[in-house]
Amino acid sequence: MSHETPLGSSAPHASCLDLWRERNDQLVRQAKVAQGLSLRRQQLAQDALEGLRELLHCLQGLPAAVPVLPLELIVICNFITLRASLAQGFTEDQAHDIQQGLERVLETQEQLEPRLERGLSGLWDSVLHSSSLLPELLPALHHLAALQAALWLSTDHLGDLTLLLQTLNGSQSGTSEDLLLLLKTWNLPAEESDAPLTLQDARDLRDVLLTASAYRQGLQELITGRLSRALSSLQEAASGLCPQPVLVQVYTALGTCLRKMGSPQKALLYLVSALKGGSTWGPPLLEASRLYRQLGNTAAELESLELLVEALSIPHSSEAPQLLIEVELLLPPPDPALPFHSGTQSQAKYLLASRCLQTGRAEDAAEHYLDLLALLLDGSEPKFSPPPCPPGPCMPEMFLEAAAALIQAGRAQDALTVCEELLSRMSSLLPKMPQLWGDARKGTKESPHCPPWVSATYLLQGHAWVQLGAQKEAISEFSRCLELLFRATHKDKEQGPASNCDQGCTSDVALQQLRAAALISRGLGWVASGQDTKALQDFLLSVQMCPGNQDASFHLLQTLRRLDRRDEATALWWRLEAQTKLPQENATWSLPLYLETCLSWIRPHDHETLLEEFQTSLLEPRDL
Amino acid sequence: MVGLTPRVDYLAGFCCPLGGLAAGKPRMLCLGAEIFLSTGSELVYVYDRERGLLTAVYKFPGQVWHLELLALRRALYVLCARRGIYCLSLDQASRSVSQDDGDDKDDGDDGDSEDSQDGEPPSSVIPVDPDACVLPDATLCTFTVLDDVLITLAQGPTQWKMQLFKCPCPGEDPRPRGQIGEVELSTCIPPAGSPREPTAPHFLPVLCCVSPQGSRVLHSHLRGSGGFTLEETLFGLLFGADASLLESPVILCGLPDGHLCCVVLKTLVTSRLAPGDPKALVKILHHLEEPVVFIGALRTELLAEDVEESHSDCLVALGHHGRTLVMKASWDEAGNLVPVLREYCLPGPVLCAACGRGSCMYHSTPSDLCVVDLAWRGTPWDPTQPDGSPGGLPSLLCPTTLNVCSVVTLSVSPRAPEGGAELLALSAKGRLMTCRLDLNSETPCPTRVTAANTGQKIKEFLSGIFTVSERVSSLKKAVDQRNKALTCLNEAMNVSCALLSTEEGPRPISCTTTTSWSRLQLQDMLTATCLLENSSDFSLDQGWALCVQVLTSSRASELDLASSAVTYTIPVDRLGPGSRWEVTLPLGPGEDGVLDLPVTVSCTLFYSLREVVGGALIPSDSFNDPSLDEHSLDVLPEQEGICLPLSKHTVDMLQCLRFPSLATPHMQAPGPLSPASDPVDTFLGACLGPGSELAGPASLQAKYLPPSVAAIKMSVELLRATLGDSHSGVSLCCATLQWLLAENAAVDILRARALSSVQGVAPDGTDVHLIVREVVVTDLCLAGPIQAMEIQVESSSLANMCRAHHAVIGRMQAPPHTLRIREPAS
Repeated sequence: MSHETPLGSSAPHASCLDLWRERNDQLVRQAKVAQGLSLRRQQLAQDALEGLRELLHCLQGLPAAVPVLPLELIVICNFITLRASLAQGFTEDQAHDIQQGLERVLETQEQLEPRLERGLSGLWDSVLHSSSLLPELLPALHHLAALQAALWLSTDHLGDLTLLLQTLNGSQSGTSEDLLLLLKTWNLPAEESDAPLTLQDARDLRDVLLTASAYRQGLQELITGRLSRALSSLQEAASGLCPQPVLVQVYTALGTCLRKMGSPQKALLYLVSALKGGSTWGPPLLEASRLYRQLGNTAAELESLELLVEALSIPHSSEAPQLLIEVELLLPPPDPALPFHSGTQSQAKYLLASRCLQTGRAEDAAEHYLDLLALLLDGSEPKFSPPPCPPGPCMPEMFLEAAAALIQAGRAQDALTVCEELLSRMSSLLPKMPQLWGDARKGTKESPHCPPWVSATYLLQGHAWVQLGAQKEAISEFSRCLELLFRATHKDKEQGPASNCDQGCTSDVALQQLRAAALISRGLGWVASGQDTKALQDFLLSVQMCPGNQDASFHLLQTLRRLDRRDEATALWWRLEAQTKLPQENATWSLPLYLETCLSWIRPHDHETLLEEFQTSLLEPRDL
Repeated sequence: MVGLTPRVDYLAGFCCPLGGLAAGKPRMLCLGAEIFLSTGSELVYVYDRERGLLTAVYKFPGQVWHLELLALRRALYVLCARRGIYCLSLDQASRSVSQDDGDDKDDGDDGDSEDSQDGEPPSSVIPVDPDACVLPDATLCTFTVLDDVLITLAQGPTQWKMQLFKCPCPGEDPRPRGQIGEVELSTCIPPAGSPREPTAPHFLPVLCCVSPQGSRVLHSHLRGSGGFTLEETLFGLLFGADASLLESPVILCGLPDGHLCCVVLKTLVTSRLAPGDPKALVKILHHLEEPVVFIGALRTELLAEDVEESHSDCLVALGHHGRTLVMKASWDEAGNLVPVLREYCLPGPVLCAACGRGSCMYHSTPSDLCVVDLAWRGTPWDPTQPDGSPGGLPSLLCPTTLNVCSVVTLSVSPRAPEGGAELLALSAKGRLMTCRLDLNSETPCPTRVTAANTGQKIKEFLSGIFTVSERVSSLKKAVDQRNKALTCLNEAMNVSCALLSTEEGPRPISCTTTTSWSRLQLQDMLTATCLLENSSDFSLDQGWALCVQVLTSSRASELDLASSAVTYTIPVDRLGPGSRWEVTLPLGPGEDGVLDLPVTVSCTLFYSLREVVGGALIPSDSFNDPSLDEHSLDVLPEQEGICLPLSKHTVDMLQCLRFPSLATPHMQAPGPLSPASDPVDTFLGACLGPGSELAGPASLQAKYLPPSVAAIKMSVELLRATLGDSHSGVSLCCATLQWLLAENAAVDILRARALSSVQGVAPDGTDVHLIVREVVVTDLCLAGPIQAMEIQVESSSLANMCRAHHAVIGRMQAPPHTLRIREPAS
């Protein structure tokens, strides 16, 4: 056999097998040295990969032979390990490499019936059940099987994986379906001391598999709500061999699980150990804030959110990936829907600000919103930050929330600034005011559609003026708001691609409430300037618009009383009485936060006393 | 704008592979007087226009796919195929000329207008230090740079992946300072085959960075690297309120599958802990349905006098076949702002394109360089005008030719003359040239020829001759090809007419089919020989093929007729008038030894349009981009062509019978081997004597079962009339038998021996006995007994008896003029 050896003349008398082995060992050593991020080292690893590929070509260029086969399989294992870890994931290529290795094994078994259609699991079945399988092949085959298991785990082929493990475990445990149990009982044959070098030990690989599948299983059960099983799986994962970042994730998941199971103290313990353990503090802090929120401890909740913002401002340092198959490689791709993603700094900041606003800490909320806007809009240095991920509000709504928080905190002037900033930034997209083109159109056509948040901006501006005591300006802003709102008809809801966020953010209910709020606000403005008849008109309209809105009815009732229109007032009072006795079923609208805040400003302070007071005043004349 | 004649000057020539440069990969950028150029090879050239020479040539370890300049930092970013992104500092690198051992790749010569090989010594090639690689990634396909962010597009196994990196600077720690964001363009599936494989992708994706008008990103360097500033209105409409509010640049991405999508850059801050949701981050603007080769922006509306800086108000995307998407802001009937997306068609295939500062887009095809003006000269948007074209877009794009062909990369020079434009172009032959256009030219008044400008004039003429000659040669080639195709088509039409117009009598082109037994590879095989005879005045040339369809009878009843028939297509290689051509095909029996009779052999002439016309449809120029061929040929379906049926021949049992009993020593009739039999079996069978010569399973049946018999009676009168004179001299019985077996190879022996009964062997080895005798039929007719001929078919196999019977019936039912006994072969 005249074969050109890759090593040339370094060992003139050695056999080909020895030369190939030596080459394998040398490449493995090279790859082990190459762990790291620097370019030279990456190049070194890449070269080692190419070397392994060449060596594999050499070996597979010859007919399969039993003495060479263990080495060939080990080279395949090293190649797959290096390639998958360099690419940070498994692809079809690896499956193909494994298949080739198995076919080579079968070639020596002289069982070459056509089995093309049987697929990888069929191949494994034939190889492992082959009667003439040599014992010296077993360690390498088990190693290859471990890589196959990793591949199937990462691609979610759990059925195939279970079958393979059952076959590997032999018949005695063939009945078990439990993946974790199968992995634990998997008895890997001992490797000989003079075996060719491997990048990653088969036993290591099995431990990694065990941890990864336990974590995956735990997450799955957590999502589907089988909490006690999730807990045991996750605990299994935590007890295994686990790199630090994964351990943090596992602990956080344990925290979530325990929180859902109703043991917050235990959950806290896990979260604390997650925080102690690693450098990724995001997920445990976010989980802690949820935990405190559930416990009703607002101070602690906000504190953990503040910490979260701080933690996320530290740039994430990416560690050099190891040139091994690690647990991270086998985890499912990060899913934004899962609760263990802390998001970005701006997302955390938004969460903090909105929670402050919701819990009534307006001053803090205002500060946080201003910080957030600065963070997002600071263009001097391109610091990229995203708005909170969907289904969070879109950018204009964030401006509106900021304005609402500022008004709530008594900083009306600042709120006006924020609103003006919003309008000026979007001025190019806003429809021109009617007087610009109204003459030409003679009012025959419909008015342009306008995103609801523009109307909401005017509404908030009006409230800011109210706070500043300028009723006239306030009323004119409310009028503008109403004008825009009543133009928006349903049919021009589908606008251009630009308005995709508008539709998502503003449901029909929200639009209705926005109209009611604007009408009530203007009505209150009229009341404040003493024009009760105009106020009455607005309140009436708002009651028509939104019959379920009790605030409107109360304001109407008060105005009617002031105008001394008793009959109407009485009729309304009866209706209100009836309504309040009914169970309040539609309190679960999810309105935008700015609208909720705004509605809270125009809510009459004391429903009960008002009703009682009215009752007595109503009944008095009848007594007469 | 009609009749634009650009002034073309040649600057330099660069080496190009045989057959010219391929489009798609060459790149060219301008920075001041310097031109950075890559031709798709490993080299990047730096050419100084003022000095008229090459100042540097960099050699990279692989093909260069993309260049970007960061003017502020004087850095050149280079994407090297399957390696990654390299960064060169322009100040430092161009000075540090290390002497390389005269690399033969260095072909950039320094003549300023002609290919003067002996100008200045060629500048030396600087191999690029591997440390200059700032982002090693073998899967990168393209990238762009914005300020200090590097935006890359990599081809994953199943998805395109966009990644953001902090831009590393030359001289700093070359390691990328970390990924800022990443998103997968999940809806867009890249073509199969990862770029790791040796075949380079035909089309690279295109990235383009678009900033809103108010953005604080400096415009000067955006301009240099393929970025644009867009008017706020269109920006907001296309990319949404969030992008407008954030004043974030947007990356437009045109993919080879035709998708045009956008990513708002400021939203793309993701990490492993905060994965990006492609649905939220990536928006698909359009699907062009052909590879996107260019994205650019234009200013279509005239600016008011007082506005200083112009921003583009119109986005353009160009597909490979010329499909063009134009996006502009407009007002609908209700007065709402809407984005208008309109598709046009420009002549393709588009090799490259460029946008200038005004309203003109330039695009190059193999045969021409065209300029398209999208300027809107009507009143600015007016919703009252009902017939106003939406968005102020022209209803049709009219490209104006510039008479320059096969430009593979284009760049609009920043130093445009007043009221005109200057283009830098690299032709497929590797020539770098400038084209100066006077966009608002009146008829140029003849200038006085002075001594000073005579030289200039001569230079211009020479340049003009170069352009024209290059163009002429490419056009000539195309015309030749078309002429050839037309000649072929004409010939084909003649042949078709000749064949289709003859209904009676011998056809000018005929095909006769005969069958015979021959021994192939120890197995007897029935072969059909189709003889194509051209007695017309035309010749069958390239493009013609003879299609022979063999349809076996058992399948004929089944529904999947098309799949069971076997069709052989044999190209006819020039069959002149009066010549013949023979094709022999095996009919069976197959491996199972079964031959399902009767077999129908249909011969058809087929003329492939694809083969003949296809060549003329491809632009003749040697753009060795294989995709060009594929795509233009898609116009013709695979099966498109002319189909002329010639003959249909049925091979039945009577033709396939063999008569070993008649075999004479001098005749080479093949012995009755049972199909696929072992020679040893044959030998043993022969030893056992004549009684057991049938070695198949049918022998038992033959021994113990009475043979099946069928008899057909036919009036002697009729038979006489049918046979005509040819039976004179022999008894009617013998003549009948000869008539039945007329198409069998053994008919001559029959004739010689004057037999009236014969024992034959069917293809499967069972015997078939044919006996012809005269009988009198009494019970058929009242007028009395009728003289009749009885044909008795006898076989131990019922199936064979039936087949033979069927064949005899077939003979009787055939129209009279076909019932001619073949003349004895003399």
